[in-house]
Amino acid sequence: MVEFDKCVRCGSCLKICPIFEVIGEEQYSPRGKLYLLQIMDMIENDKELGKEFRRLLFQCTLCGRCSETCSSDVDLLKVWHEQRGKAIHEAPEEFAYLDALRDALSEVKNIYGLDPEDRAVFWMDELEDEFPNLEEHVYSEGKTAEVMVFLGCLMSFRGSQIDVVRGLISSLEKEGVDYLLMGAEEFCCGHPLYLTGDDAGAKQLRDHNRDVIHKAKAKTVVTCCPGCLIQLSKYHELGDVEALHHTQFFDRLLKTTPKTKRSEEFAYHDPCELHRILGIKKEPRSLLNKMKVNFREMDLACCGGGGLLRMTDPNLSDKVIQLRKAKERIQDTTVVTACPSCREQLLSAGSKTVDIIELLAEALEDEQ
Amino acid sequence: MRIRDVVIGANASMYYRLNFSKIRGVFYPRSEQEVLQIVLKANEQGLDITPKGGGSGLSGACTGGDRERFMISTLQMREILTISKDQRYVDVQPGATPNEINDLLEPLKMKFYVAPSSRDIATVGGLISTDGGGNDTWVNGTMRDNTIRVKMILYNGAQLVVDWDGVRSNDKSLEEKLNRAGMTIHDVASSHGTLGIITELRVRIKPLVEEELIGGVAEFDDYDSLGQAIQSLIDAKFPVRYGEAIVQAHEDVRGDLRLPLLVLEYPRDDALQEKLTAIADFRHLSKEEVEYLKDTRIKLPKRNPKEGIQVALFEGYGLHGKSLTEMSHSITEVNELLMEDGFRPFAKYGHAPSKWYLGDNSEAFGLVMHSREIRPEGRSGKEIFKTVARIVDKCLELGITPKPEHKWPFSDDVKKKRIMKLRDIIGGGFNSFILDDNAGEVLGSMV
Ligand SMILES: Cc1cc2nc3c(=O)[nH]c(=O)nc-3n(C[C@H](O)[C@H](O)[C@H](O)COP(=O)(O)OP(=O)(O)OC[C@H]3O[C@@H](n4cnc5c(N)ncnc54)[C@H](O)[C@@H]3O)c2cc1C
Ligand code: SF4
Ligand code: SF4
Repeated sequence: MVEFDKCVRCGSCLKICPIFEVIGEEQYSPRGKLYLLQIMDMIENDKELGKEFRRLLFQCTLCGRCSETCSSDVDLLKVWHEQRGKAIHEAPEEFAYLDALRDALSEVKNIYGLDPEDRAVFWMDELEDEFPNLEEHVYSEGKTAEVMVFLGCLMSFRGSQIDVVRGLISSLEKEGVDYLLMGAEEFCCGHPLYLTGDDAGAKQLRDHNRDVIHKAKAKTVVTCCPGCLIQLSKYHELGDVEALHHTQFFDRLLKTTPKTKRSEEFAYHDPCELHRILGIKKEPRSLLNKMKVNFREMDLACCGGGGLLRMTDPNLSDKVIQLRKAKERIQDTTVVTACPSCREQLLSAGSKTVDIIELLAEALEDEQ
Repeated sequence: MRIRDVVIGANASMYYRLNFSKIRGVFYPRSEQEVLQIVLKANEQGLDITPKGGGSGLSGACTGGDRERFMISTLQMREILTISKDQRYVDVQPGATPNEINDLLEPLKMKFYVAPSSRDIATVGGLISTDGGGNDTWVNGTMRDNTIRVKMILYNGAQLVVDWDGVRSNDKSLEEKLNRAGMTIHDVASSHGTLGIITELRVRIKPLVEEELIGGVAEFDDYDSLGQAIQSLIDAKFPVRYGEAIVQAHEDVRGDLRLPLLVLEYPRDDALQEKLTAIADFRHLSKEEVEYLKDTRIKLPKRNPKEGIQVALFEGYGLHGKSLTEMSHSITEVNELLMEDGFRPFAKYGHAPSKWYLGDNSEAFGLVMHSREIRPEGRSGKEIFKTVARIVDKCLELGITPKPEHKWPFSDDVKKKRIMKLRDIIGGGFNSFILDDNAGEVLGSMV
């Protein structure tokens, strides 16, 4: 039986879908899209409908909440992945706006189309005064370390992420970890291509990364980005090398941590890719609790930043975060999270946000 | 055709392959005023209107059949308008779900006690239109028992407020006629969107109850003994809080269960215990044992036999009266029919005692029995529908209510006559295919 035929159209996945929640029409719901697949034989001759359907496939954050909710065991994420690949294959001209992304990834191996050498330039410029030995920690042929840090495109290139990079490096330094950053040798993890259903393109990028990680003789790869972690842990075929989220790494490393000096109440936004897709739920909370951070849980809902939605439909993505912000009453609260993509979303909506690693770095620093 | 006109066909029934070209417009209004505009537009164009809530109904009634029609979804009308804890009611738009209402009531320690398994998506507008309810209808009644009043818009744009005493309307002559015909909530309940579109409901709420329950199970030698025990519980008005009968299960999934059996939870009380022992040989169950049996039951519809795939061909059989106390006959007859048509019985189970209403608004109490069967290969939609139609006839012959929970409006002649009488007064225009002679054919074409 094909996966989407398992759907009994019960509707349980309707109201939990962030896209349905903001638009409120059935075609934007998981059930609606599966229904279209089930009756595709009745409408496939209508070119306009096909086009509309393909567009709908990319109006989704791939947050996975539908898969999690479904009691008929429909693997909706698998369906969306396969159908996205099929859509681009069938009508590449409708996805011309993704060409720039694909070209950038094939030519310069990052999503921004910037010079690959620049991967280690922005944060290096910012941080080398604070961490004078930083250069030594950037991978080049021949260097080895226990831990390889995989920053990912967002954290490598975006100024808005610099505090997270700082927090990460500071924490690694304070704990005396033997680490290297992949620097200019880091290629995009392939997640953006994977999200478009382009497995072959993603594989090429992964092959290079695997090579570097193995050459550095790393035992562990650490990343702050759940999207990168999906790729590293599930698709990079790293063998004995373990891929960990930074919250996992530090939660394991530190039995106890110093107490945070911040007394305000935070709100914890759990990134979808982290808790739902990777199943990492315990460690972020454990770290926050060890630091005695006063936080309340936010609804386990999407911020609107996943699934390439920022690229495929930025307006929709904005609507998701705006609605979320209003519902969760976070106007005057700092949102703690652990994902560079969620961070971008929150910042774009004018919210205050910190990564768990920033709080950890602060606490470790304060202790000294 | 646009994609939103196609997707509106998504619904939980097996009737989902619609003739989309007959859908002339799909609307998602937010207010009564917007609904009114859409209704007047449909009226002007001579189109039928089908209201749709969550699309979780299992009768195919929310599809609108084959009429040239507008589809009005209430999914964007889900505001809770007023909560009165003192007077114990909530005013709510028709597209809100029991879960959405209860989320707001929880901090007030109040609850809206209508709990179908589909409570995350079924709307209160849909629930009153099917007179739905959960596994607690024995205690809390069906949706109609929990509805104080509804506001509706009719095909000519007139507004109605229907409660248990009658009707009020901005059209006074209509109001008088409907009151003369004795229209009340009973008529709106289970009307499957054939009268008008519901735009607001006032529903009953009650304080949250917390009581200590104990569990018990009785195993029976035959189906008749099970049916008679359920009848005795009904006659004794026994305060069952949770009651589940596992009637049959295929050997691949039966495990060590001795069937048929009845699991109960009821308040801890010596007098009650005595009463229960007089009804049947119930033995105490620990909390874990009750949970184990509940879990076994919940998994029945999700597990497959070693060979073949199971389906719910016809979700519910309302066994009551003689069809309950002589349950062996009922079950034999149904199974024989299924097997004649190539379906092999897989599992039968359901809540008891349960309550539902018959077409003449009298109360029925009994077992709402779900049935799953192993489906034969290569049946066409029309052939499957033929079996469904035969089951309905068989139910009527045996005095079983077809789909008491999810409702099967197409064969309920008493209810249909009443709806037609009221439609003569208010004008049709809403979900008319249900009342057509060829409704069966239309459904068959959508399987
Ligand atoms: C997994 C599952 C479990 C279920 N469990 C139960 C259960 O435990 N108990 C139970 O009773 N049912 C159950 N059902 C059936 C279903 O949930 C009910 O029939 C429910 O009442 C349908 O509500 P809805 O909002 O989805 O309505 P829809 O399916 O959209 O519509 C049902 C009918 O109501 C009419 N209608 C909807 N809204 C309006 C309105 N505003 N005005 C006028 N007419 C309207 C429609 O025209 C249609 O005729 C279950 C269904 C599923 C899929
Ligand atoms: S929850 Fe599962 S079965 Fe129900 S509509 Fe969604 S995908 Fe289909
Ligand atoms: S993955 Fe998330 S956004 Fe996409 S259909 Fe499922 S619930 Fe909606």
